[in-house]
Amino acid sequence: MIVYRCEDTLESIFTAVYLAYEEKRDLQDTYLSLTEDPMLFATDVPVTADEEKAGKVARTLVRRFGERDYHTICLALATEDTQKAQTVFRTIVQGLAWTGTGRGMQESRMQPGNSHQGSSKGHLFDNLADDSVHKAFALARYANREVGHLIEFVRFEELENGILYSRVGPKVNALAFMMPHFADRLPIENFVIFDDRRNLFGIHPAGKAWYLFHGEETDQPQPVWSGEEGRYQELFRHFVKTIAIKERYNLKLQRNMLPLRFQEYMTEFQ
Amino acid sequence: MEYLATGNEISLMDKLGILTDAAKYDVACTSSGVERKGNGQSIGNCVAGGICHSFSSDGRCISLLKILLTNECIYDCKYCLNRCSNDVPRATFTPEEICTLTMEFYRRNYIEGLFLSSGIIRSPSFTMELIYRTIWLLRNQYHFNGYVHVKTIPGADWELIRMTGYLADRMSVNLELPTAEGLRSLAPNKHRKNILTPMRQIQNGITENKNELALYRSAPRFVGGGQSTQMIIGATPESDYQILNVAESLYQKFSLKRVFYSAFVNVTGDSALPALPGGPPLLREHRLYQADWLLRFYGFQASELLDEKRPYFNVMLDPKEDWAVRHLEQFPVEVNRAPLGQLLRVPGIGVKSAQRIVAARRSTNLTFADLKKIGVVLKRAIYFLTCNGRLMYPVKLEEDYIVRNLTDEKERIQFGSDGMTYRQMSLFDDGSFSRPLKEVEVYQGAVGSL
Repeated sequence: MIVYRCEDTLESIFTAVYLAYEEKRDLQDTYLSLTEDPMLFATDVPVTADEEKAGKVARTLVRRFGERDYHTICLALATEDTQKAQTVFRTIVQGLAWTGTGRGMQESRMQPGNSHQGSSKGHLFDNLADDSVHKAFALARYANREVGHLIEFVRFEELENGILYSRVGPKVNALAFMMPHFADRLPIENFVIFDDRRNLFGIHPAGKAWYLFHGEETDQPQPVWSGEEGRYQELFRHFVKTIAIKERYNLKLQRNMLPLRFQEYMTEFQ
Repeated sequence: MEYLATGNEISLMDKLGILTDAAKYDVACTSSGVERKGNGQSIGNCVAGGICHSFSSDGRCISLLKILLTNECIYDCKYCLNRCSNDVPRATFTPEEICTLTMEFYRRNYIEGLFLSSGIIRSPSFTMELIYRTIWLLRNQYHFNGYVHVKTIPGADWELIRMTGYLADRMSVNLELPTAEGLRSLAPNKHRKNILTPMRQIQNGITENKNELALYRSAPRFVGGGQSTQMIIGATPESDYQILNVAESLYQKFSLKRVFYSAFVNVTGDSALPALPGGPPLLREHRLYQADWLLRFYGFQASELLDEKRPYFNVMLDPKEDWAVRHLEQFPVEVNRAPLGQLLRVPGIGVKSAQRIVAARRSTNLTFADLKKIGVVLKRAIYFLTCNGRLMYPVKLEEDYIVRNLTDEKERIQFGSDGMTYRQMSLFDDGSFSRPLKEVEVYQGAVGSL
């Protein structure tokens, strides 16, 4: 068995996928590992991330399976699961094999209404009965939910220099998925989202493109609120308190919808 | 605006409190239906699915800044906190206050937009004009590009409603009570006709606008998120069957996007209102929402779910289970062959899992284990499904038996005897407690020195 030892980055994992095909490995007997755990009867191949190779894999995935499935793959790889590289690799292999043999083509031709004739776009995750596909799908779904929650529950504070600042502690590496949403929503604002579990900053300068930045929060001086910030926080707390109907009081439902781990970062619960 | 500025000495905090408190019984707090990208120049975009930003202690979502423009209402509806004969503190927002609050809350990601309703101040048209001015200011001076939901004031001038419609994403007229008789008894100043007229006008406006948009892509959008309405449940003696029929005809004849049901909360203590010692009828509201979903996404009709002889929903079973046990001749359904419409009617299968089943069975023959992965709720579905012609367990296709199993914890079949279970694993399911292997142990195992 060949074991590709990758790092926990999109580039590294995609490079490993590229190498597995380039070096014509037996794909059924190839493993992508993110850890250093030794395996029996295995040949280790260390992977150095290569932007060009990773880019090629990404383009192929988009071409074969469409933007949406590619996005799903990226989401699955944003989780903290140690098996995620292997799971996604198996999914890609079965997806490419499936289209390679033309089965996907026949199927879609049989259906007159199908607009993507002869392609398998959007069908990478169809076969949920397959264990790898299902696991990759479940990972992506988990990550997607987390990203969705963050988009809902992120709270910005206005600092004295007018920058909107937010802290999050997500279970998946979500910043790259959150930033496009907020960049589109608040294009004329300077805002920063800080992931305190990964020490990662998402930075959006007003009117420019956003980027990610690794650094410690303690490098920066303690953020100071703008003059109006405290007032609006108080207004919002008052709003949230008032809007509840006491006859319908249901704390369990609230916690189901808004898990406690998010509440520590949220203005209205502070 | 002079009228509003005078005599208003209360702080913004108090106003927000009063006018939020007055608006909280309105249930239509969704931000869905419109997909609009940011324009790069101003603040705001809209997401088709809507976004909930918080949940209050009653578990309801907070998506929009839900406030009244004013609670100085001239009407005297018996169920309403803001009726003119009620002694509550009164307040009125200025348009600037609403705009600033909306913008500052939105920037901080507290809310998804504005939900502006109002009591009737002076006259319906006067109120509608105030609402229009506020939204105009918000859109054109504050350049807010996010979601705006506006209440249509029944009886207001159509021109005002039309102008507001070009600025708002969603508009709604509250039906208040399901039937005209109920309305007459509890809301003497409101008339069924006045409520349905603007609803029809907006519907026609939306249709015309669609034709315009087909011709001119950049034509302004009129109420892009469609219309909604809400009904109070349990204040008047209508049956579930009547309510569901009203909802169905609203969907069909007025092409509404949503009908909301609001369990009645007795806030005024009026003698014409029922006392609710058991609290608001929350289960009834829940069953109505379940049935509402069946109407909109599962291809059901109101007459299939209830009829004159059975005008109320079953308390123990949800409407779909209830329908299924009464139509056992249509079951069991073969997962690998049944068309989508038939799958949708099986209890325990939702829209997503039905679509996933259809996609997955192209490449494989599905088994019950696969259904579990797909997300089918087996504890409800097993009585109605076969995989490759076989039931999961030898269950009887018999109404009493199934109802007993669906409702009673103890009577249920003991699952897990064959290693497969629909339940989540708990600590005590399995005798063999295990812990994840340590790295050292994996290494020892690999080199054979464990």
